Amino acid sequence: MAVVLGLVVASCAGGDETVTVYSGRTENLIGPILEDFTEATGIEVEVRYGQSADLALLIDQEGDRSPADIFISQSPGAVGFLAGKGKLRPIGEDVLGLVPGEFRNANGMWVGISGRVRVIVYNRELVDPSELPASVFELTEERFRDRVAVAPANGSFQDFVTAMRETHGDNATLAWLEGLVANDARTYASNTSIVQAVGRGDVPMGLVNHYYNFRAKAEDPGVASENYYFPDRDIGSLMIVTAIGVLSTSDVPELADQLVEFMLGEAQRFYSEKTFEYPLAAGVAPSSVLPPLSGVGVATYDFDRLGGGLERTKELIDESGLESS
Amino acid sequence: MKAGSSPPDTTASAVARRRKHHPGLLFAVAVLGLLFLCPVGYLAWGTLSLGGDFWATVASERTLRPLLNSLLIASATAVACMFLGTTLAWLVARTDLVARRFWRVVLPLPLVIPSFVGATALLSAFGQGGLVPFLPRIEGFWGAFIVLTALSYPYVYLPVLARLSTTVPTLEEAARLLGSHTGRTLTRVVLPHIRDSVAAGTMLVFLYGLSDFGAAALMRYDTITRAIYSSRLFDRATSLTLGLVLAVLALIVALIERAATPDRRPGKGIGRVQVQYRLRRSSVPAAVLASGVVGLALVAPVAVFMLWVIRGSTTVGVGYSGIGDGLGFLIGPILNSAVAAVAAGVCAVAVTLPVAYAVARRRNWLSHAAAASVTSVFALPGLVVALAVVFWAIQAPRPLAAVYQTFPLLVLAYVLHFGAQSMRASQAAISDVPLRYEDAARTLGVTARRRFLTIDLPLVMPGLVTGGGLVLLSTLKELPATLLLAPIGFETLATRIWNAAEDGFFAEVGITSLVLILLSGLLTWIFVLRRE
Repeated sequence: MAVVLGLVVASCAGGDETVTVYSGRTENLIGPILEDFTEATGIEVEVRYGQSADLALLIDQEGDRSPADIFISQSPGAVGFLAGKGKLRPIGEDVLGLVPGEFRNANGMWVGISGRVRVIVYNRELVDPSELPASVFELTEERFRDRVAVAPANGSFQDFVTAMRETHGDNATLAWLEGLVANDARTYASNTSIVQAVGRGDVPMGLVNHYYNFRAKAEDPGVASENYYFPDRDIGSLMIVTAIGVLSTSDVPELADQLVEFMLGEAQRFYSEKTFEYPLAAGVAPSSVLPPLSGVGVATYDFDRLGGGLERTKELIDESGLESS
Repeated sequence: MKAGSSPPDTTASAVARRRKHHPGLLFAVAVLGLLFLCPVGYLAWGTLSLGGDFWATVASERTLRPLLNSLLIASATAVACMFLGTTLAWLVARTDLVARRFWRVVLPLPLVIPSFVGATALLSAFGQGGLVPFLPRIEGFWGAFIVLTALSYPYVYLPVLARLSTTVPTLEEAARLLGSHTGRTLTRVVLPHIRDSVAAGTMLVFLYGLSDFGAAALMRYDTITRAIYSSRLFDRATSLTLGLVLAVLALIVALIERAATPDRRPGKGIGRVQVQYRLRRSSVPAAVLASGVVGLALVAPVAVFMLWVIRGSTTVGVGYSGIGDGLGFLIGPILNSAVAAVAAGVCAVAVTLPVAYAVARRRNWLSHAAAASVTSVFALPGLVVALAVVFWAIQAPRPLAAVYQTFPLLVLAYVLHFGAQSMRASQAAISDVPLRYEDAARTLGVTARRRFLTIDLPLVMPGLVTGGGLVLLSTLKELPATLLLAPIGFETLATRIWNAAEDGFFAEVGITSLVLILLSGLLTWIFVLRRE
C-alpha cells in the first residue's frame, strides 16, 4: 500500500521542471546519462522504457494526450514512423549542427545520438575469416547455404533493408531477400538470440549490430563469437543510429531541447567508454576497439524520399517470405 | 417404479429452469461481458477504420501457415499439459509420493518464468556449448512444445489439485470396498469428479499457447503472434486484422467448448478427508516423473540463471556485474511486483465471480456469451490487450481519463487479460457445490445473498484461491501492459528482466529471475497453498 501511495504522491509532484521520456533504449544503456542530466540541470526526468516499436504505437495512440515529451528509439524506423505521422517537432538548428548531416533526419525531426554498425557475427571455430564475404550481397551464394542467421522481425534489420532499397533499389533488395530464402538462411527472433546461437555454434554466422558481441564477451569472455565488418563502405556495414526526437504535443519543448543538447554533449563520452557504441557528435572519438567510422557505410536517413517509405520495406520482406522461412 | 415414469431431472439446466433469474446478477454478467469485449472492440474498430480485409487476411497463405502452426502448438501443448498436470496433481494430492510437501510447493513455480526467459535458458542448458552437452538442443515445433509444456502445465495442475483436495470420499471408498481396483476407481469415480477442473486448465493452456510470442519465436517456430508483432508498426491493418482473427477464433473455441460440455449433474458434496492411494511398485516411476518435470521446468532454468550470475559481467558501471554486486536495485521491483500481482489476483477473482457463478448455476445464453467474452481475451498477445486498454482509456471523458497510466488501470488491464484464469477456476469450483444445500437453505427462507455468502462462498474458496493464484503468477511475469500502462517509473521484476535481456545483460537476467522465482514461491505459499 505504501508503494501505491508513494506512486500517487510522486505522480502529483511532477511540476514544470520535469521532462517525460519514452525510451526504446533500455535503462542500462541510457539511465545513467539521464541521471547525469538531472544532476547537471536540476530538471527531473521521468522515463518509460519499452520496445521502440511499442512505444511509437503508444505515442500514436495517445494522440494529443500523450504525456511524453521525448521519444528515444533504438533505430530510425520507429522514430521515422512518428515523424511520418506529424508527431514530432523540428529540433533547433544549433543542436542539429552538433551532428554530421548523415546521422539525422533530413527535416530535422530527429537526430542520432549514438550508432551501431551492422556486422557479421561469426563463430571462429566454424568459420575461417578468409571465407567471409566482401559484400553482404554475397550471402546469397551457394557457399553460404544454410549458414547465415537473420532476424527479419527486428527493427535494425528492417532499417538496414530500407537503406539497401535507398542505395540499390527495390528490385535488387527484393532479389537479395529472396536469395536469402532460397539459400536457406535461418530466421531468429532477435540480435541477441543470433549472437548466442553463433557463440554456441548452432549456426556459423549471422547479421546483427556490432554492439551485441561486445555485450556477449563482457558476460562470457571465452565465447567463440567474433565480429566481422564488411569493407569499403558496403551497405552490409551500415550505421544504425539511436535516434531522439521531441514530440509536437510536448508542453515543455525548451526543457526537451535541453535534454537533446545534453545527449549530444557531455553524454557522448558514455557511448565510447561504457557501451562500445559510436558517439555521433562531431569531435568525439569512438572506443579504440572499434574500427574507424570512415570504413562504415551510412544511409542518408531521408526515408521520406523513398517510394512507399518503411511500409514498402515491410512489404518486400513479406513478399520474400523470409520471416516464415 | 412404474413403466413410463422417469427419475426427476436433476441436471443443472433443469434445476436452473426451476429457478428465477436474479436480475441483479444478470445485469452484472451483461456489464462484465461487455467490459471484456474491449480488446475485441478495439481490434474490430482498428480493422474497419484501417481498411483491413478480414476474410482476405484469413484466407491468405501468409496467414494460414502461421495460424495453423499456432493451432497445432496450442493443441499439442494443451493435451500434454492435461495429462501431465492431472497426473502430478493426483500424485501430490492423493498418493504416498515421496516428499509430497516439497513437490506441492515447487510444482506451480514454472508458471512464473516468462516464456522468453525460459526458452533462452533451456537453449543455453542443453546441447553443444550448454550446461548439459550430452542432451540435445531442440528447436522448432518440438522446442516450442517442450518449453510451453514445461511452463504451462501448472494451469492444469493447480485447479485439479484444488479439486482433488475437496472431493467427497464416500463413492471412492465404496468402490474400493466393493473390490474395484485402483485403475477402475480412478476412471469411473475420480475422473468424473475432476473433469471440470481438468477441462478448465486444458482450455487455459490452449489459449495461452495461442497468445504466446516469446517461446515460439526463440525456438524459431513461426506462429500467428510473430505475424502480429512484426507487422505492428508498418502494416497496422494486417496486425490488427490478425489480432481480430485470433480473438474470433478464441470466441468460437470458447463457445464450442461450452456447447460440447455435457450438462453435468451438480456435485455430490465437499469433503475434507480424502482417500489416499498407495503407489507401491509405481512409487519409483512417480518420483521419476515429478523429478523429471521439475528438473526440466525449474532446475534447468535455475541452474542456467545461477551460471549467468556466477559468470558475472565485466562491464563496469553498467548493469549488475555478478556476485558481490549490491541487490538494492531489486527492492523496489520486488515490492511493486508483489503489490501488483496480489491486487490483480484478488480483483480478477472478484470481478469474474458473477460470470463464473452465472455459467455454473444459471445457464442461459447471456452467461455463456459473457463467459466466452472473458475467455477470448486470454488468447490475445499481451501487447494487443495493453494497446486496447490505452485506446479506450485515452479517449474517455476527462475525469475518467485521469486514470490513464495509474495503478488502478494497470490492474484492470491485468484483470482483462487474465480474468479467464480466475473465471474458469471459480466456475469449476461452483459447479461442484451440491444444489441440495442451496435448496435446503431456500426452504428455510434464507435470502439469495446470504445463501451465497454462507454456503457457496466457503465451499468454493479453494477454487477461488486457485484462480487468484494463477492470475497472481501470470501477473508476476506480465510485460507489455506493465511497460505501457504502469505509472511512470513503476518497475517490476519482469520489466527489469526484459530490460536486461533486451541487450544481453545475462548476469542481471539471472539474478532477477532467481529473485522472481523465490518471490512467487513465497506468494503462492502465503496466498494459495497454505489456505488449501
